[in-house]
Amino acid sequence: MPPRKDNEYIDADSDSDVDILDESGNRGRKSKGKAIDRRRKDKGKGKSSEQPYAWEASYARSWDTVQEDEAGSLTTAVADLLARNRRRRLLAPANAIRRTIIRHLIIILDLSLSMMDRDMRPTRFDLSLEYAREFIVEWFDQNPLGQIGLVGMRAGLGERLSEMSGNSQDVLKAISERHKLEPAGEPSLQNAVEMARGSMGHLPTHSSREILIIFGSLTTVDPGNIHDTLEACIRDRIRVSVVALAAEMKVCRDFCDKTGGQFGVAMNEGHFKDLLFELIPPPAQRVLSRAAGAGATNPAADLMVMGFPVRLPDTSLPALCVCHSELKSEGFLCPRCSAKVCDVPTDCDICGLMIVSSPHLARSYHHLFPVKPYQAIISLEEGSAFAKSCHACARSFPDAPTSTFTATAEGMSPLGRYRCPDCHHDFCTECDVFVHDVVHCCPGCGK
Amino acid sequence: MSGANRDSTNDVNSEDLPHTLLPFLQSQSQNTLTRLYQRPSACLSMFRLLPPLDRQLVMNLLWLESAVPAATMGAWVTREGRKLYDVALLNLSRLHILPNPSIKLSLNGTFKASLRQAIIGGGTDGSFGTVAPKDDKHLPISIEVLDAYAVERWETILHYMVSSGTGQLPTKPSPGVLFLLQRSGLMSSVHGSALQITSAGFQFLLHSPHDQLWQLLLQYLHMAEEREMDLVEILSFLFMLSTMELGKEYSVESLSVTQKAMLEDLRDYGLIWQRRASSRRFSPTRLATTLTSLLPPLPTATSSGAGSQDQGFIVLETNYRLYAYTDNPLQTAVLNLFVTLKYRFPNLVVGSITRDSVRKALANGITADQIISYLTTHAHPQMRKNKPLIPVTVQDQIRLWELERNRLKSQEGYLYTAFASQADYEYVLKYARQLNVVLWENPAKRCFFGSLEGHSNIRGFIERRTGGQV
Amino acid sequence: MDKSSHISVVLDLSPSQWHLSSLPHNPYPLSFKSFLSQVLAFLNLHIASKHENTLAVFGAFPGKSVMLYSSSNPASDSSDSGNPNIYRPFEIVDSRVVTRIEEELELIDDKEEEAPIGLVGALTKALCYINRITHPTTSTQSTIVEDPAILPDPRILILSVSPDLSTSYIPIMNSIFSAQKLKVIIDVCKVYGPNTVFLEQAAHLTGGSYVYLERRDALLQHLVMSHLPSPALRKLMAVPTQEKIDFRAACFCHKNIIDVGFVCSVCLSIFCAPVPVCSTCRTKFPIKTLQRLNASRAPALRPVNGAAKTSAPSTPSLPSTPR
Repeated sequence: MPPRKDNEYIDADSDSDVDILDESGNRGRKSKGKAIDRRRKDKGKGKSSEQPYAWEASYARSWDTVQEDEAGSLTTAVADLLARNRRRRLLAPANAIRRTIIRHLIIILDLSLSMMDRDMRPTRFDLSLEYAREFIVEWFDQNPLGQIGLVGMRAGLGERLSEMSGNSQDVLKAISERHKLEPAGEPSLQNAVEMARGSMGHLPTHSSREILIIFGSLTTVDPGNIHDTLEACIRDRIRVSVVALAAEMKVCRDFCDKTGGQFGVAMNEGHFKDLLFELIPPPAQRVLSRAAGAGATNPAADLMVMGFPVRLPDTSLPALCVCHSELKSEGFLCPRCSAKVCDVPTDCDICGLMIVSSPHLARSYHHLFPVKPYQAIISLEEGSAFAKSCHACARSFPDAPTSTFTATAEGMSPLGRYRCPDCHHDFCTECDVFVHDVVHCCPGCGK
Repeated sequence: MSGANRDSTNDVNSEDLPHTLLPFLQSQSQNTLTRLYQRPSACLSMFRLLPPLDRQLVMNLLWLESAVPAATMGAWVTREGRKLYDVALLNLSRLHILPNPSIKLSLNGTFKASLRQAIIGGGTDGSFGTVAPKDDKHLPISIEVLDAYAVERWETILHYMVSSGTGQLPTKPSPGVLFLLQRSGLMSSVHGSALQITSAGFQFLLHSPHDQLWQLLLQYLHMAEEREMDLVEILSFLFMLSTMELGKEYSVESLSVTQKAMLEDLRDYGLIWQRRASSRRFSPTRLATTLTSLLPPLPTATSSGAGSQDQGFIVLETNYRLYAYTDNPLQTAVLNLFVTLKYRFPNLVVGSITRDSVRKALANGITADQIISYLTTHAHPQMRKNKPLIPVTVQDQIRLWELERNRLKSQEGYLYTAFASQADYEYVLKYARQLNVVLWENPAKRCFFGSLEGHSNIRGFIERRTGGQV
Repeated sequence: MDKSSHISVVLDLSPSQWHLSSLPHNPYPLSFKSFLSQVLAFLNLHIASKHENTLAVFGAFPGKSVMLYSSSNPASDSSDSGNPNIYRPFEIVDSRVVTRIEEELELIDDKEEEAPIGLVGALTKALCYINRITHPTTSTQSTIVEDPAILPDPRILILSVSPDLSTSYIPIMNSIFSAQKLKVIIDVCKVYGPNTVFLEQAAHLTGGSYVYLERRDALLQHLVMSHLPSPALRKLMAVPTQEKIDFRAACFCHKNIIDVGFVCSVCLSIFCAPVPVCSTCRTKFPIKTLQRLNASRAPALRPVNGAAKTSAPSTPSLPSTPR
């Protein structure tokens, strides 16, 4: 099982649903949808002979991985399983530093009658709306400088549900009223994609353009040749990803493969969410240009001037803002021209400076400077001084190896100790995960 | 951001009942309270019993040397907090912690000095209890033994109460406890027969252990007044106990005569432990040291089995079936109050909630809300995953069974009838309506029924009217 | 029912800053000793407020950070002295914190140069600790399902005396975001020295209160009024918030704190001057952009075409009347 993958896959493969299931089977007790589904992990073995059918794979002998301890209890086994999964996830992130951070995404929602199917509870439509909401919230959390627009496919037309916006509330409002989105008719993939494409044409080159289609139907009613639309998308560097709720369609697969997006068919509610949430982390920048020639400048990259404003409290003297000409006391001051704007991020209306609040930028820095993976301590013999308790949370370490299973191969420490390669402090399992997943800063070295 | 809009489930103003002891203290004279405030440990415990806003106010004022104009402090209060703030001020002034809160705010000097001393330390009055010197003859008492002792004592009392009506004869608590139970109205004896649990007693059983304890102690305080014991001594001893450390032995020497007399009573309740009745040292149990804590993880719930009962033990299904994982006779007995028990296994009791069983409980004076809250607080961890915790059907049905009993409501009053004319009738009726005392009316028969309170007014009104005409 | 709460206090224990703070030429000199006694009183008040309140104290020393005290594993040195005049938990906290600080200060050798303060380490440790107590998970406990209502409301209080350390910009921002995720409020009390931009942002982004202590003799009063109330109580009794929050950032190249910067579109690295290659992600920027930016930067220092006020971009000063 290869726990690391060093460079990005150029070809977006998603060939084997079997893999996905294998993984989700392993995940077992974990709350559904939480884990990052690293589906492409072992694509080589994907179509192995012992798991020919998806429904067999979904029950991929998950009980084999769980073993009772001496007392007949499963708790230690479950804890081990959880810990192991978390360890593996920690080791997984490769050093893909180049990520697109200023993202533009259009979500295309299928609002055709096929969304009324009840194979996902309560209906495909309700579930999609619910997940879309969660997706949008999480997406803005991780991509604070991104923008999302919404397009619906209904009755053979593309319908613009909301304009491209950087404010999650605007976007959420567009799908908050269910009755306005009542499914009808057949979907038209071409119309919707063309509409999305049209609204992304003017975007600057350094931002990403992405389309996410939640597609429940098995047909599409198009006015023209949809392959022309596909060509146009490739030309415009729009990445199209599709989450299908019914089955795989050739044209959807083509869209994803050729534009570099991801394609997946949701098998159940949890898997649907996993597929969606996989699209939240910023995609790695395509490194084609680097491959083409080391000296070539990346046309997608640019240096931007940005200003970091001062925020005025609501107790300051009221003044007119430059954006709405309203009398307000709170607001942000442009650092270059001292004009007052209501909200950030925005462009200053007076001097044109892009004003962002620095926390917006800082939110994504942990992608850039990840904490080095800690090394698992296998035994206490090497070295001399061993701290009695975790350097971060002061929980005391067990004296002797707790579990007997041979997990060393997977980077698990039988002692529950993990050591930072820089500051040589020891951390417990929980802190190890917390530091790498949440804090992104080693308590020992302070970096 | 995330900090600001955190869930406000713990909103301060919701169900923020003042501690049961506070009204009692408020009824005491200023002199008594000031004497009480001389002891730092008492101030510290009192401080803990106060509601959060009151505490904050005390803390804000604690380190100020001079008085603060009321307006200055009021400026810190947000609009939502205004009402609670006023309540808090009133509350503090009743306790004589904050005299005259209307103009200038300044803490009672004694209270301020003592609380400061409690926080910083120092002083020589030893109000936090003198630890007994190391005992060479005996090993120090372990916390487990103390817990077991407290549980045993406490459950004896409760078990005696719960089984008093059933004819079984469990171990009797000491006469002092029995007297206290009788005095507090939790049990009563009819014509000299054995003590019987009262409806107040049934309600008492469903309270949390912490509430039960304070209810009894409060009764003890009331009794002490009659016995002409010094209230200040008793209170400060209780407060001192609450600040003591579990598992330590304290010396009896520094106690006053009254307090030494109390030792026996408190031993009966399980608040303190002594090796012998004449021992020169005592240890507070967990019951005592958690007196001022609001979340009482009392050891009481632990039975002889594992300590899992802290977590709750009741599983209730939508079909009214109830499974209680307990081997504790007290818990079984309490359940028996409102559940028809079916089977009993070594660690499991199975029963179902039926109309009869609930009506029996209601007849004993237990309310539906009490049953539901008991089920909620003792629900098994598995149940806690359910939302809502108690099946709605069961909840509703218990409430409906309670409503069944309330079909008739009697109210005293007067029937006004035989009006001379429709106009007279309407005139009087209008007046009665304005007073909001009309309970029933029938225009066709020209009569209406007014409540007791309104009678004198209405009668006066009619007399004035007839008198005026004559 | 008021919830119990947890405070993790981070003490900034830089000897040189405390020396400066105690110098008599300050308007209100505050020695470390009196600071410590006031902080201890504050800690005692927190414990006094509720039986279940918990506490952790972290010390940020030059170049390192140490957990000084925590309620979950208090000192094991149960000296049976049993002073009858003080509440036992207070005694434990006070003696423990004081002795630990003394121990650590002993270890600091008197070098000329003081190592940078380990504030980030202390802050992240506090977060790890809070994570541990608020998520009593899996591996340690068995199957005890903790009722979330019983878990304390966590807060962090930073008592800062050192100025901003621009190298710690990214770690502090990362800590802020993780505090947001954990729903932890970060309160900041700036006891000595200039306002720190980063801690201001920390307090603002987590909904905490930032107090710049002017009357330093009234430290305890400030601590009690602004930092002791629990979040629920803060809805009723207002706590001071910042006047204005400076959203400036530190550039990656020279660690300068800047208000207008140049940002790489790929990785969002901030630079204080146009650079041809992003030092973080090795992206090369188009020559044209560089020329344009360099050209626009020079004249920006002079008033151009009568556009209102062009205060030099590097000065963060506020105009008196924002208009």
